[in-house]
Amino acid sequence: MSRNRELISKIGLRLDGRRPDELRRIRCKMGVFSQPDGSAYIEQGLTKVLAAVYGPHQVRSRQKAQHDACIINTQFSMAVFSTNERKKRPRGDRKSTEMSMHLQQALLSVIETDLYPWSQIDVYVEVLHADGGIYPACVNAATLAVIDAGIPIKEYVCACTASLGNNEVPMLDVSHQEEILGGPTLTVAALPMSGKIVLMEMSQRFHLDHLPKVLNKALEGCKDVKAILDEAVKNHVSEIGSATGWANTTS
Amino acid sequence: MENPICLPGQRLSICDNVYTCGQGTYQRQGYIYSMLAGTVDLVDRNGVKVIEVHSTGEQTVISTQGDIVTAQVYIITQQFAKCYIKCIGSTVLRSPYRGLIRRENIRATEKDKTEVFKSLRPGDIVLARVLPMTEAHSYQLSTAENELGVVIAHSEHGYPMVPVSWTEMQCPKTLVKEPRKVAKIIPENIDTGGIVVDS
Repeated sequence: MSRNRELISKIGLRLDGRRPDELRRIRCKMGVFSQPDGSAYIEQGLTKVLAAVYGPHQVRSRQKAQHDACIINTQFSMAVFSTNERKKRPRGDRKSTEMSMHLQQALLSVIETDLYPWSQIDVYVEVLHADGGIYPACVNAATLAVIDAGIPIKEYVCACTASLGNNEVPMLDVSHQEEILGGPTLTVAALPMSGKIVLMEMSQRFHLDHLPKVLNKALEGCKDVKAILDEAVKNHVSEIGSATGWANTTS
Repeated sequence: MENPICLPGQRLSICDNVYTCGQGTYQRQGYIYSMLAGTVDLVDRNGVKVIEVHSTGEQTVISTQGDIVTAQVYIITQQFAKCYIKCIGSTVLRSPYRGLIRRENIRATEKDKTEVFKSLRPGDIVLARVLPMTEAHSYQLSTAENELGVVIAHSEHGYPMVPVSWTEMQCPKTLVKEPRKVAKIIPENIDTGGIVVDS
């Protein structure tokens, strides 16, 4: 594809004016709903995602219950108005089911499931606006919502995409425009503190020689995302804490 | 409050003879890490400093075998009473859990003569102990102790009843006595060896 070469201009800027190693603007908010136990809203560029967490509560179906761990039930859905063309089904199609399973895998790697035997945690994620990097935004939103719910996690799980522009330069956080112009997208969900990779997925292919640098770029992106989420959680905790007079802190 | 804020996955301290993991923390490769977003507390237990993290929201607890729970009966049958577990110890649950009190677990003595409707009624608030889990869908509870059983019950006319013996409660308005498996409540501030209020 000839347009592939134009993803980064001569002066080193991308189509939306970012440099290759820049993330889109991330804005997030925790505790956006009062009914669920935890909730979060995240905006990565124009991608907007809401997440809600219920639980841990008693299992609904007794076949699934585990005696030594809780089960994590995830549901991914995209609002019908989230894409260019109106979607027919917000959830239940093949792509949504796959997304739910990937999200479940990412969360299983961090949530301390053995603390809640015979229990269940429900995570609902809704994409309000899709503009590239849906999965990373969902993972990041789910992480924030789980933290907001007070569910113990080993560490953050963050996700980021990376691509290869002009067949040589790794680019971070691919937007929808860059996705459709071609250029392979590598999605990575990682535990940024310990450097473990939870999920890696690639659309299209590029030469294996490029993989290390693209992967490293994606992992750097995960670390950057983590720093942003850290700040948001810190602000949220101090806000909630000072509002309630640090009620739960005395042991 | 001076307690510092910590975030999930943050390294809090080295794990050694002096400092150990408490609630909301975990140990990895000789260090203590936080699992929650909240405030750090240092609790001294017999010279060992326990590091605890308390989140700002409500705490989720899961009842385990041997816990004392507060439950409300909602269905009785010949064989068992179903109830909603509302509190575990002194913690109020965010969402109620389903529990089951079998007929043979209501009383400690004369188990086979026990009748559910003479011991528990729908709407009663009971104190019970959690039995080992055998089935996934509900917690098995037992009231087969003196201190366990019905603590709050309303008569057929809707008045809160007062216990008159360990098997009966009386309505103060209509003076009707109803059978219940009454719990012997020991007030928290009473001296040991003092007079027991009821029974």
